[in-house]
Amino acid sequence: MYPLPKLSVIVPFYNEEDSIGPMHAAIIAAVQPLGVTFEMVFVDDGSSDATALRAEDIARRDARVRFVKFRRNYGQTAAMAAGIQYATGEILVTMDGDLQNDPADIEQFLAKMAEGYDIVVGWRHKRQDKLLSRKIPSVIANRLIGKVTGVPITDNGCSLKAFRGSLIRSIPLYSEMHRFIPAMASIAGPRIAELKVRHHARQFGKSKYGLSRVYKVLLDLMVIKTVTSFTSRPLLWFSLLCVPLTLIGILTLTGGLIAAIPEGGRLSLPLTGSGIIFLTAAVILMASGTLGELIYKLGDVRPDDFARLTKRLVASNVNKE
Amino acid sequence: MSMNKLPAQVSVIVPVGGRQTSLTDLYPEYKSGLAALGVPYEIIFVLDGPQPAYEKSLARLAAEGEPIIVISLTRYFGEATAIMVGFEHASGGIIFTLPAYMQVQGSEIKALHTALGAADLAVAYREPRASRWFEVLRRRAFHGLLHFVTRLQFRDLGCNVRAMRRKVLEEIHLYGDQERFLPVLAERQGFRVAEVPVRQSPNDRNDETYAPRKYLRGFLDIFTIFFLVRFTKKPLRFFGMIGVATFGIGILELLYLVFDRMLFASPLADRPALLLASLLIVLGVQIFALGLLGELIIFTHAGGNRDYQVDRVVHYPEAEPISAHPKPTPVGGVKVVA
Repeated sequence: MYPLPKLSVIVPFYNEEDSIGPMHAAIIAAVQPLGVTFEMVFVDDGSSDATALRAEDIARRDARVRFVKFRRNYGQTAAMAAGIQYATGEILVTMDGDLQNDPADIEQFLAKMAEGYDIVVGWRHKRQDKLLSRKIPSVIANRLIGKVTGVPITDNGCSLKAFRGSLIRSIPLYSEMHRFIPAMASIAGPRIAELKVRHHARQFGKSKYGLSRVYKVLLDLMVIKTVTSFTSRPLLWFSLLCVPLTLIGILTLTGGLIAAIPEGGRLSLPLTGSGIIFLTAAVILMASGTLGELIYKLGDVRPDDFARLTKRLVASNVNKE
Repeated sequence: MSMNKLPAQVSVIVPVGGRQTSLTDLYPEYKSGLAALGVPYEIIFVLDGPQPAYEKSLARLAAEGEPIIVISLTRYFGEATAIMVGFEHASGGIIFTLPAYMQVQGSEIKALHTALGAADLAVAYREPRASRWFEVLRRRAFHGLLHFVTRLQFRDLGCNVRAMRRKVLEEIHLYGDQERFLPVLAERQGFRVAEVPVRQSPNDRNDETYAPRKYLRGFLDIFTIFFLVRFTKKPLRFFGMIGVATFGIGILELLYLVFDRMLFASPLADRPALLLASLLIVLGVQIFALGLLGELIIFTHAGGNRDYQVDRVVHYPEAEPISAHPKPTPVGGVKVVA
């Protein structure tokens, strides 16, 4: 058997003092028999209860645990991003700290990754949550996310996911994007697989989410869509935005000029003026596109980096030595 | 004093800008207040713009062996910059900022120092405070607006008396007029901020009127802070909202005009309202485009801009269950504070 890549299990905790101990034990029980080298990265997202104390205690007793404590609450995306940042493994598995995900599923995730997938996403097919406030909005949101981003994933909200470390570390994660990691990662063109996972009802503590997040999801979706579709070619994208403006501008301006002929050359101010306004706007948008190209050149995220991350050498008969 | 030969534990930064009290009154006051702390200290005077007379009296103090550092800037850069320049010369683990005029009594310095036991930044608020009704109103409006915008309630951001741990200024880069908003920025950075009531100095009560220009600046400052705190990570939420609203109004107006033209045959070409509609549409598109540019900046620089502040990373590579006082290992360049 070939040597297995190192595994990092990333778990963010927010006010989960009762769950953290059982979680630690469950991960070890599930992963140790697999015979892989592994570590656990626990992130405390500014909990106000004893979560941090208990996590620190666990880290003191177990060398495989790396504990990252936030100064205050920054949200789940930040916690995931920090976990990814501090993880040293080649395969990263993320999961919720509330015991609703089952570490026993990690085994099938590893098997799937070994098949050559870059991202494996969990799907809670027997979800143990309230129907009206959680399951139904989630179905709608997932359909919408799939349609808009072009990455059809049944259950974006499931935290249990596995990533290839080199790939996920290069994907910018900020704001509230943890739900869209696969969509964000789609700029890199990864091979994505879905797996059915177990889902347990909440044992301790209470849920931190409600309906209010729908609005934020919609806004973030818009951001992701624009960012992922226009990053590689800002000038092109802005130029596309210019086309309707230029068309309207030219049409209005010619309309104004033609209307002036029977009037004996007296131009209509509103009509010609509007035409000029639209044309000016098109020019300014073009200029913005140029600025976009400049920002892109100076930034540290480039699409060709992504291409290298996911490439595979399919065949090579030429000896390079 | 032999204590002054030891490395300073407390560094006091005094930016000397516009308003100032004579050094002969100010220095003994601060000196006695600092002496009460019982630790070695240093006072860093930053002359914000050339002030020959003040510099001369500081030179006299230095000649007398007082623990002072004097830095002179070639022109006026503003208090925030002066504080940052002074900080570069500070060696203490605790940093104070004190105004160059008497705002509070020197004896109150100890209260701030004590408050640092449970906080990273302690800001003073003057209580009770003697003011004319107009100033009270102005202050209420300012803090109320700030509360509305940042959801943080402070009582007296105009008070320049602050004490902080060194890491606060190491992480927060102040510029412009931001020194007043240090508590807001610190809170956002995840630091613990405490407010400490102090008695106002009798000398502070006299001149408390501001030029109208200052009001405008104060308002613009709040707007900047609003943007910094709420939208720096999500520019499209901010610009997109405004852009879509403007665009929407423009489209509605245009629809109305077209409708009017078709039904009542009022000539479209002669209506100035058409100009407004096209302006609004175009403006909407452009504001939205600005938001996109903002998102692009964030996206391409997200690697360097972290969304979170790590308090500490705990990892014991050779976890020995029963070692007496194990030392945490620093990981990834993050300081272990424990």
